[in-house]
Amino acid sequence: MMSVETEIRFKLNGREVALMVPVTMNTLSMLRDKLGMTGTKYACGEGECGACTIRIDGKTVNSCLMYAVDCDGRELVTIEGLRTPEGLHPVQQAFVDHGAVQCGFCMPGMIMQADYLVENNPNLTREEAQRGLEGNLCRCTGYTKVLDAVEAVVEAKKCCGRC
Amino acid sequence: MENNLTAAPIVKKTLIGQRVRKPDAPEKATGKTRYINDMVLPQMLIGKVLFAGRAHARIIRIDTSAAEKLPGVYAVLTGKDAAGLKFGFVRDNVALKDQVRCEHDEIAAVAAETEEIARRALLLIEVEYEDLPGVFTPEAGALVGAPLVHQNFPGNKSLSFEFKHGDLAAAEALSDYVVDNVFRPHHVTHCCMGTSCAIADFDHNGKLTIWTQTQYPYNYKMDLAPALGISPGDIRVIQPPVGGAFGSKLDVYPYEPIAALLAKKTGRPVKVIYSREEEFKAAPTRQAAIIHMRTGCTRDGTLTFRSADVLLDNGAYTSWGPTIPVIMMRTTSGHYRVPVVDFKAQAIYTNNPYAGSFRGYGNVQTTYATAQQMDMLADLVDIEPLEFHLKNAQKSGEVTPQKSFLRECVLAECLETAAKASDYSRKRKEYAALRDLPGRYKKGIGLASSIHNAGGAKIHKSDGIGTILKVDDFARVTVITGASEIGQGIDAVITLIVAEELGVPLEHVTIVNNDSDIAPWDVGVHASRTTFIAGNGTRRAARKAKEQILNAAAKMLDEPAGTLELRGGSVVRDNCGTPLIELDRLLRRMHFQAEPELVMVSDYYEPKSEPEGAKHISDHSAAYSHAVHIAEITVDTLTGEIKVDKVTVAQDVGRVINRMGLEGQIEGGIAIGLGYALSENMRIEKGMLTNPCFRDYKLITAPEMPPLDLHFIESNCAEGPYGAKGVSELPTIVIAPAIANALYNATGVRIFNPPMSPEAVARAIDETRQAGGRRESE
Amino acid sequence: MNEIEQYLAPRRLDEALQAMANGDATVLCGGTDLAPQTESGARQYTAKLLNIRRIDGLGGIAAETDQVRIGAVTTISEIRCHPALAEIAPVLVEAAEHFASEQIRNAASLGGNLCNASPAGDMIPPLLVLGASVELACWRGGAVQTRLIPLERFFVSPGKTVKLPEELLTAVVFDRPAADFVGKFRKSGPRPALEISTVSLALGARIADGLLSNVRVAMGSVAPTPLRARHVEAALEGKPLDAASIAAAVAATAEDAKPIDDVRASAWYRSHLVRVFLEEVLNDVRGN
Repeated sequence: MMSVETEIRFKLNGREVALMVPVTMNTLSMLRDKLGMTGTKYACGEGECGACTIRIDGKTVNSCLMYAVDCDGRELVTIEGLRTPEGLHPVQQAFVDHGAVQCGFCMPGMIMQADYLVENNPNLTREEAQRGLEGNLCRCTGYTKVLDAVEAVVEAKKCCGRC
Repeated sequence: MENNLTAAPIVKKTLIGQRVRKPDAPEKATGKTRYINDMVLPQMLIGKVLFAGRAHARIIRIDTSAAEKLPGVYAVLTGKDAAGLKFGFVRDNVALKDQVRCEHDEIAAVAAETEEIARRALLLIEVEYEDLPGVFTPEAGALVGAPLVHQNFPGNKSLSFEFKHGDLAAAEALSDYVVDNVFRPHHVTHCCMGTSCAIADFDHNGKLTIWTQTQYPYNYKMDLAPALGISPGDIRVIQPPVGGAFGSKLDVYPYEPIAALLAKKTGRPVKVIYSREEEFKAAPTRQAAIIHMRTGCTRDGTLTFRSADVLLDNGAYTSWGPTIPVIMMRTTSGHYRVPVVDFKAQAIYTNNPYAGSFRGYGNVQTTYATAQQMDMLADLVDIEPLEFHLKNAQKSGEVTPQKSFLRECVLAECLETAAKASDYSRKRKEYAALRDLPGRYKKGIGLASSIHNAGGAKIHKSDGIGTILKVDDFARVTVITGASEIGQGIDAVITLIVAEELGVPLEHVTIVNNDSDIAPWDVGVHASRTTFIAGNGTRRAARKAKEQILNAAAKMLDEPAGTLELRGGSVVRDNCGTPLIELDRLLRRMHFQAEPELVMVSDYYEPKSEPEGAKHISDHSAAYSHAVHIAEITVDTLTGEIKVDKVTVAQDVGRVINRMGLEGQIEGGIAIGLGYALSENMRIEKGMLTNPCFRDYKLITAPEMPPLDLHFIESNCAEGPYGAKGVSELPTIVIAPAIANALYNATGVRIFNPPMSPEAVARAIDETRQAGGRRESE
Repeated sequence: MNEIEQYLAPRRLDEALQAMANGDATVLCGGTDLAPQTESGARQYTAKLLNIRRIDGLGGIAAETDQVRIGAVTTISEIRCHPALAEIAPVLVEAAEHFASEQIRNAASLGGNLCNASPAGDMIPPLLVLGASVELACWRGGAVQTRLIPLERFFVSPGKTVKLPEELLTAVVFDRPAADFVGKFRKSGPRPALEISTVSLALGARIADGLLSNVRVAMGSVAPTPLRARHVEAALEGKPLDAASIAAAVAATAEDAKPIDDVRASAWYRSHLVRVFLEEVLNDVRGN
């Protein structure tokens, strides 16, 4: 279906972006097909798996359900934007260190959501992490090591707060 | 350094059993990894497939002219373009069909500039069908006069298998108790997070390069070739990172030859990638079956026989699904000491989706039956189940009726460890006593075990692997291996073994294993074989390299042969750890001396196992292993919801290599098994899948994952690398019957047709209450 | 195949309503239902795609007065995390808690969930027992006109409501529940969320001197639309909450719940769950 295009401007991982998008295009397709940002994954296209999780104005959403036009004037962060110049983001590092990554296909979305949970709740418990990750499917890990990694991040943050 | 004798000694530190990170994890965690799904090649076209969307039909007319005229369309193919190019186990499949035998039959395919155009082109293809009566259960397919799925397979008969051992009639006569049940394991599917995808490209010599997700690159060439009418030698297989496989990529599926046929026709690279809905409909399933199983024992609890009569729902084509009796019969004959065995299996063609191989490969279905019947028999004999299991558990050195040689068998230790850790016997009694008292929520505990090949399975002529290993002038090691990485972590295992043998840092090891033009032969990731087979291959190659290096060092440094070792990036004296020369300097000296030598070795490892053979009497794996799961659950007897509170696992792992990867395999395997047990179910009505989405096909999510208590029993397998055995299928196999036995402990109800969904459990409990109202009135 | 001719993202309500006046606008807010439905072909776009998320005054929760007002573009997350709502209408917050996943809650709007008119819409049963109404606005006679429709008369059939194509759902309103109001919500499924309800049920009632009054019971996924269970309500109205009234109410579910067999559950199981949930919530209230 051909649809009319419109120009949108937004911040993507801290950089200003302006581009034309078909008005029915979803944000996931825009990221992957228009901008070559393939870190964000397609796995279901209907918000059931979380592999395409990104942040928009600080909140996590499924980018497959979000219309690209609705990015206009907003701030997006994708998995590519999490990494700092010094190296891996602490959540990414914890996932690596705790063996949470197997095939890794769900991990960009899982890590985006984990980062959101940890940021919003410094006392995040394992049970709360389980609930918070309920929208992220993983077929490889059984989530155990994912939760180990999230717990480790929470603990590390608490420690830093004290010292 | 070689003259600096004051350098501190380097102490020996083993990596075996340590926690090693997966080398590719940082790239994956940052979104940098380029999966096949992410790949874009210059000039690449997008291929899309027109599926039949009906279960059984004749194609009266197909008109592709409008699609061909659509701007941006480069090729439209139909059944005539693949005519005669039969492929598959029994050559019953073609890439594009001229007749419909199942819902996802590929009727036409287009290659276009964009996915959008390709989709619109599909809508322009006109097909006129004449629907035919179909067969949708194996029983219906086996009836005399049933519609035939393939005209050349009379009676809809596909593969059949048989194994008999001992005198069944005599064993039955000996039996004081016999349990006799029909189990109907259901259709489930792999749900790889990365959907199926292939990219094909031909060069001007007619050589095909195919980027694909396959987990068996070498046999794949042989299996793909007939679908294209080319030589396997003209196929180069490249395996980019994949989003999961779990056995689903152990065969050729039509989208792969379709990508190649489109590439051939257009002269451009063509990518075919499935949407999730297409993935649900067109990817393989786990084999559905009807298992009539009987097991007998004597009054003192000694097993007397086990018989299994299995009818497999072959689906429309024969992939690996109908071959699972090879493993089903090993479990039937080898799960505990069974003196008399009678196994037969017949696969019947139906108009349903067809099954491929899936982690657990037939053993998931069989163990669901055997492990429940063990529980039932213990009840009949009125003996504590643990005692019953121990009484019938094999010991090291025993041989099963099919001649599986259980060299190192620690089943008893697994049983005792898991039972003790979970307080199984006490809880079981306590919960059973509470079962018939009032109360909505009931607790239950259930034990199950199984046996599985843990050193490959010689179902091909070879179960071997080739390994090439080179160490460059900077002491960086490259391992070129046939072993495929599909997320399971063989990369970490190979890295660990090289670092262990050559004393180099883990980060100095590179693995090349994704190009069939470079890497040598391997049979693929299956049969819990890769750590065992590739681990052995890597270790043997590394030891050859080490021998060459140490011999050169001894000569060069004038040290006695056999006294040197590689440690911490240096050559050291083995006894005291004194470093003599850095490895990279030594390698450069070896290279640039008068008689120069490079370190580049190769190895071919073929395990000492016997080919399966037509009679199925052979020691077909280089090792066998057991696992015991004890599941603790809470059942809401009104809604039927089962909450798994905890799972205790004791598994014979031979020896722990990479502890982190091992745990990950067990945890992930259990998650797949939990979904099988509780929630996953392909609802197929008259051949049509009615729930092709994650909303209605429910995988286990994070909140549903129970805590796991893992116990690794190290049996030290003589043939395994450092003593290791393969591990990854047993966790998927054992969990479902453990939950089933716990459900019985909690409620007195058994579900013979999994999954144990809330509705199935609620209905079973309700029916039991209706029928046995006396239980409450007594 | 309909083509979109125009995309609009107005900031003012009157602009939006004028754009809708011809009834040819597809309203976009969170997109969580619109995206998959248009993708699968279950729904077609119209000439205009109208993004209402930027309209001033269409969001926010006003809970300070006797009437609670929730703007149409309010996300489910905002409802879930709203402290005043948790005080006033915990039954609604409870439903938000079990709504889809965090990512969807962050995007999905209340107005969208109602307009989607799914028989399984999670926010509907609690709003029905709160006696909520929806505010519909349109551009007529050169001005913004609004009307209030009780939620129980809003739904027509799956995906269909009484809202006219030129109307926009702008808010949900309900009277602040009385001090003696109790509300309960229950939905099925072993997953805490990310579950299309096999059955959902909400109860709202006042309890004074041990007697129930103003009883409202709402059910999801037992009929083509979420519904008020009138027979169950009648069995409870004016009654003390005891074994007899609970049994009568549970028996009355058969009159109200007429579920069907579908891919998610059988009619038998749905009817069974309705009985279980009703008994459960009534016992909960009784226990307190």
